[in-house]
Amino acid sequence: MSSESNPLTDRPDLSFAAAGVDALLMQFGQTMDPCLPGFLAQLRQRILSELGDVVHEVVPAYSSLLVYYEPRAVRTFDLEQALEQLSNDVPWLCSPWSTDDNAPGQLVEVPVCYDPRCAPDLDAVMALTKLSAENIIALHKGRDYQVYALGFAPGFAYLGALDEQLQLPRMKNPRTHVPAGAVGIAGQQTAVYPLESPGGWHLIGASPFVWFRADKDPMTPVQVGDRIRFYSIDFDTYESLRAEHDGKQAGIKK
Amino acid sequence: MTGFRVLKGGILTLVQDTGRLGFQHLGVTRGGPLDARSAYWANRLLDNEPNAAVLEITAGGLEMEAQTQTMVAIAGGDLNLTINGEPQVPWRSFWVRQGDRLKFGTPRYGFRAYLAVSGGFLTEPVLGSRATVVRDRLGGVHGNGRPVQEDDYLPCKHLSEEGISRQIPQNYLPQLGKQITLHLLPGYQQQAFSKAAWKQVFQQEFTLSNDSNRMGARLTGEPIPVPDQEFLSEGVSYGAVQVPASGQPIIMLDDRQTLGGYPKLGNILPLDGFQLAQCAPGAKIRFKPIHLAEAQQQMRRYLRFFGL
Repeated sequence: MSSESNPLTDRPDLSFAAAGVDALLMQFGQTMDPCLPGFLAQLRQRILSELGDVVHEVVPAYSSLLVYYEPRAVRTFDLEQALEQLSNDVPWLCSPWSTDDNAPGQLVEVPVCYDPRCAPDLDAVMALTKLSAENIIALHKGRDYQVYALGFAPGFAYLGALDEQLQLPRMKNPRTHVPAGAVGIAGQQTAVYPLESPGGWHLIGASPFVWFRADKDPMTPVQVGDRIRFYSIDFDTYESLRAEHDGKQAGIKK
Repeated sequence: MTGFRVLKGGILTLVQDTGRLGFQHLGVTRGGPLDARSAYWANRLLDNEPNAAVLEITAGGLEMEAQTQTMVAIAGGDLNLTINGEPQVPWRSFWVRQGDRLKFGTPRYGFRAYLAVSGGFLTEPVLGSRATVVRDRLGGVHGNGRPVQEDDYLPCKHLSEEGISRQIPQNYLPQLGKQITLHLLPGYQQQAFSKAAWKQVFQQEFTLSNDSNRMGARLTGEPIPVPDQEFLSEGVSYGAVQVPASGQPIIMLDDRQTLGGYPKLGNILPLDGFQLAQCAPGAKIRFKPIHLAEAQQQMRRYLRFFGL
């Protein structure tokens, strides 16, 4: 633990926004700061343990916490004060995340099939980025990603940061059906859709990895703060791993 | 085990309770009845716990046979329920005997009916809840998120004695119309939207799209000017009105994803969301602003009424 870190020096400023009658959004800037996941995980625990009588749930994301509270037990203004106090109490201990294998959090390797049959948006991404398919694949699997948040669907892990050359805006019209296993990119983020769902990300591959099981403890094989490395598999391997699945944790190398 | 045998699952019939709490940080959706007020009414007519599991019957088509005797209650949209071919008055509780056939037709008014049974439907809970969330593959009759279908068995208690049939007082019946106004509580990225965008939100009439579902109510209208800015994904709360690049708003409902990154105007008042749940596609929708204090006061009144 570094003793010289000043809790407020580098930490992005906190702002609040209403998120309905019983939720408050705590926003720490709008950048994908690799120091935030650890800080937010700690702050989340503090909020749940110290304000548990008025706060039901706290949902972390890249740079925010969504705090669900009981408006009949606390005034919104008072809750904001208490949350601000707690966020100043949690130390900002930033050790910038590196690709070093000794970095904190486990490294989880995830297989991806980048075959065109698995990648419905590869052509569109090639056109938008002016990159070849080989370059797109090399850039996507060429770095380790940090798990910034779990959400959107059970076990959906938001990963970052994507190489700048692959950063594209979300699709204008979200798809109503994205197949399970689809590997998407959007902005600075990449992720694998664990289940069929709607979605607005560009799909450049597919993975047979299982991200969530309600009957397992822990239910998700990766946690916020872990790292993920993609490796490519061919279409046949993808098909057989998918078939083998049937609820098993196929293709995980830890 | 006593219960009901399903003869036809209908268009979309789901077991629902108040939902799966405490797992949103892992991406697990809460679920729950879209028109929670009607679900609470159905349970209240039977003196059930508010959290007792009910059936949410969307647009009708459900047919089932009682394999026990019990009290049931029906609230929400009027889907032309008949018992052994006899039309039933909605918004009341009644006695069913072994062999009785309950059949839901097409909507007369409203879009979703709630059927409660004495003691609730006793399906197996998953992560502490019986709520069916299709997109999470959790809950429901088989625990895997599948909607109710033919040959399913819906377990419930057997009642030895007939209870008193009760009806909801006329003045508590909801207004179920083809035009509704949703109170919007500004929040989230409210300041990222231009003045022109806000003007448009409150002036134009939107249409509820066919693509709407339990995840989100999709509206169509003149596109709303969208902020020229990308936002990082963040927690999405009930009723959040997100505006993707198409400029067509989506109101996030009970089966919404836990996180999302489209810019959001704020949230609708949940009480209005219950009304929205009773609208069929094609309904006309308007927005009207509301302040947090007023919105919270209205919610307090509602929660107190149902003893929540």
